[in-house]
Amino acid sequence: MNPKLYTFLWAVATVIFIILSSLAVASVAKLIARWRGKNQLYQSRTFAGYFFASPWIVGYIIFVIGPTLASLYWSFTRFKLPEPPVWVGLQNYIQLLTTDDQFRVSILNSIYVTLFGLPLQLATALVLALLLYRRLPGEQVFRMIYYLPVMLAANSAMLITWRLVLNPNNGILNTLIRMVESVFPFLVPVRQVVVWFTELTNAAFLGLQRGDFNLLQQTVARGLPGPDVMPLWHQSQLWSKPAIIFIGVWSCGAMMMIYLAALCSVPTHLYEAALVDGANGWQRFWRITFPMISPATFYNLVVGIIATLQIFEQSYVLTDNGGPAQSTYFVAYYLWRSTFRFNKIGYGAAMSWILLVLILVLTLIQFRLANRWVYYEYEEA
Amino acid sequence: MRSKVWILATVVSALAILLSACAKPTPAPTQPPAPQPTQPPAPQPTQPPAAEKVTIQVMVVDYIPDKTDKWLEEEVVPAFQKEHPNINVEFVYVNWGTLDETVQGYFAAGEGADILNLGSEYVAEYGDRLAPLGQYFKDWPDWAQFLPGTLDTVMWEGEPRGLPWLTAPRAYMCRTDILKDVGWDHVPTTFAEMVKLAGDATIVEGGALKRQGFTPLDDWQEYISLIWTLGGSIYKDDGSPNFDSPEAKAALQFMYDRRRAVLPNEQTAGLPETTGALLASDLVACQWGNLWGAPATSDPIWEKIELFPGFTHPDFPKSKPVVQVFNDWLAIPAYSKHIPEAVEFLKFLGSAENLNTYNSHFGSFPPRKDAWFGYVEKDTVMKKMGELMSQYGVGFADIRETAQFRDVLMAEMPLYFTDAQDLDTTLKNIQEKYTQILRDAGRLP
Repeated sequence: MNPKLYTFLWAVATVIFIILSSLAVASVAKLIARWRGKNQLYQSRTFAGYFFASPWIVGYIIFVIGPTLASLYWSFTRFKLPEPPVWVGLQNYIQLLTTDDQFRVSILNSIYVTLFGLPLQLATALVLALLLYRRLPGEQVFRMIYYLPVMLAANSAMLITWRLVLNPNNGILNTLIRMVESVFPFLVPVRQVVVWFTELTNAAFLGLQRGDFNLLQQTVARGLPGPDVMPLWHQSQLWSKPAIIFIGVWSCGAMMMIYLAALCSVPTHLYEAALVDGANGWQRFWRITFPMISPATFYNLVVGIIATLQIFEQSYVLTDNGGPAQSTYFVAYYLWRSTFRFNKIGYGAAMSWILLVLILVLTLIQFRLANRWVYYEYEEA
Repeated sequence: MRSKVWILATVVSALAILLSACAKPTPAPTQPPAPQPTQPPAPQPTQPPAAEKVTIQVMVVDYIPDKTDKWLEEEVVPAFQKEHPNINVEFVYVNWGTLDETVQGYFAAGEGADILNLGSEYVAEYGDRLAPLGQYFKDWPDWAQFLPGTLDTVMWEGEPRGLPWLTAPRAYMCRTDILKDVGWDHVPTTFAEMVKLAGDATIVEGGALKRQGFTPLDDWQEYISLIWTLGGSIYKDDGSPNFDSPEAKAALQFMYDRRRAVLPNEQTAGLPETTGALLASDLVACQWGNLWGAPATSDPIWEKIELFPGFTHPDFPKSKPVVQVFNDWLAIPAYSKHIPEAVEFLKFLGSAENLNTYNSHFGSFPPRKDAWFGYVEKDTVMKKMGELMSQYGVGFADIRETAQFRDVLMAEMPLYFTDAQDLDTTLKNIQEKYTQILRDAGRLP
C-alpha cells in the first residue's frame, strides 16, 4: 500500500475513534444523569461536558490506566521477553520482601536520602524564602537564581557538571573549601569533625544495611581524619548519598517558591498584634509564621517524599550506575535495571507496585498526622 | 455564508490530501555512481529466484553519524545491489542505551530487523534465538580469515550465529619514561611485579593522588581477564560459577593488593578531572584498556608507551598473558524470513575491504587478518596491538546473564576493596548470588 495513503487512513481512523469514543462516554454520562432524575438541561450540559473532556479521558484510560493494570497483572507473573508471562502468584513480592538483598539495599538507600535529605531541603527552602520575603533590592534576580537549579538539577548535563564540581581532587567545591580554610585556618578542625561524623554515620548506616559493621569498626578505629582528608563525594560509598543530598538541597527552588507564596498570604495584622504584645522575632516566627505556612510545609513534605523516593538520574549519571558499592542503588534505579537490563519485567512490575504502596502508606500517614500540626485559616473561620 | 466557506475549504483540503496520498510514490533522486571499493573476487552467491524482490533490514548500533551511515547507504548498498539486484537493504540506527529494548521488542514480536548489530557478550543472552548459519559459512573461503578469538563471540552450541564486525582488544600499556624515573627498565611480567610497579609509580600528596601507578583499579571485566590469565575459567564444566577456584581468589587478591599499592587508604582522593587520554597526561603510569581510551595512535607520546599483553603467575603453571578481545558482531535472528539474503549481505559486508573501511571509522580492528592493511599496517601502534591480539586474544564471550552478573561483581568487589568485607566472604557472595541468578534463568538445575 502507498505509505502516504496508509498514514492518511490511520489518521482518519484515529479521528473517527476519538469522535466515537467521546460520543460513547458522553452518552453514558447523559444516561447516568437521566437515571439520577436530572432535568433535560442538566443532561445536555453533562453530555457536552463529557464530550469535550473525553479525548483526554479516553487517552488517559488507554495510555495510563491500561498499562497500570497490565503492570499489576505482570507483577504476578514471571515475564521474560520473548516468552509470554507465566502466572506465579505472589512469588515476585515474596522474593523482593524476603530474600532479595539488592532490593533491601535499594529501599534503605532511598529511605536514607528521604529521611536526611528532605528536612535539609525544607529548611533551606524556608530560610531562602524568609530572606527573599524581606523585599530587598534585586529580589527578582535572586528568585531567578534560586529557582534556576529546579530546571537544571536532574538534567543529565547538569549531573555530569556536578561530577566535575564534586571531584574530590580538583573539584570546585573542595577547592573552595580549601580556599576558605586557608583564610580561616580555624575551620580545618571543623571540617575534620564534619568529615569524621559523616563517615561515621554513613558507615553505621551501611553496617545496618548489610548486617556487617566492619566498615564502622575501621572508621572508629581510624579516629579523627587528618587535615588533608577532604570529602570524597561520589568517589566513596561513605559520601555518595551526602553528595546526592547536597544536590537536592541546591535544587530546593520549587519548595522555596511555595514557601514564598505562603509567606505572602500570612495576615500582617497578626504580626502587628504580636508586636504590640512584645513578641520578639523568634516568637513571631514560631508562633505566627510557622503555623500559618504549615499547609505549604505539608505540601512540600508530601511532594518531597514522593519525589525523593523515586530518584533515578543521580544513580545513573552522577555515581556511575548506583555505585560505589551500590551505595546509590535506589529503588527506581533497581526497578529500571530489572526491567530493561535483566529482562525481568514481572519482577520490575512487582517492585514498582511495592514502591507505590510504600509511597501511598507514607502519604496517608502524613495526612492523618496533618490534623495535629497543619493549620488552615478557614477552619478557624 | 461563512460556514459554507469553511465547509468548502475543509472538503478541498481533504480531497487534496486524499489525492496526494493516492499519487504514485516519487522515484528516488538519481545519485552519482558510488565509487566501487576494490575487493578480492567475491565467491558466487546463491541467487534467489530472479523475479522476487526482497528487502532486508539491518539494525546498526556501531556507527558514526554522517560517516558510517553515509558509507553504508551510499557506497555499500549500491555495490551490493549490483551483485544482488533483487535484494534491497534498509538500515535502522539505534544507540546503546536503547539496544536491549529494541532487540527484546523484535524477539517479543517475532519480527524486526533481519540483521542485528550486537555486543560482545550477547551470544549468551540470545544465542538460542539466532539462526544457525553453519551451512552458509562452511563453504565460504573467507571464513578461515577470521581470527579465532573473534569467532568465539559468534558461536553458540557449535554453530556460528553471525559474523564478527568490529574488534577492540584490551591490553596493558605503560609509560616507559615514568617507569624509568621510578627505577624500572622493563614493563611488569608477573603479578607481583605489577603490584610493586603500581606502588612505585604512584604519587600521593596532601591526601590526594597526583599520579596513579595503574588504572583502572576495580574493573570487573579486567577481573575476568585476570582469571583467564591465571588459567582459570568463570564456569565449571557443569555450567555453575567457578568463583570458589584458586584462580578467582588469586585474581581478586591481586586487584586488592594493586589497589592498596596505589591508594594507601580509602580516604585518599582520586585523580583530578582531566581532558584527553590519561596516559598522555602524566597522571597515570600504566593502564589497561583498548585504544579508544588511550592517546591517539598518531600522538608522539606513543614513543614512550609500551604495549604488552599482561603477566604470568609463578604459582599457576597454566598462567599466560591474555588480551581480552571485544567483538561487536552482526547476527541473524531466527525469526527472519530472509535468512539466505541476509547471509549474502553479511558476506558482502564481511569482505576484507569493507571490514577495513568500517573499522577505520572507529580506529578498531577488522576481525579478519587479511583486512589489516591501510590504516592498520601503517600505524605502528595498531600493528603491535594486532600482533598481541593474534597471539594472546581471548574473546569476551559466553558471559551468561551479563547484566545481573555485572551487578553482583560491582556490588561485592568494592566492598572487598574498601575493606568492608574480607576476600573469602566476597567470593562466597559472588558464587552464591551468581549461582542463584543462573538457576533463576534456567541455566542450572
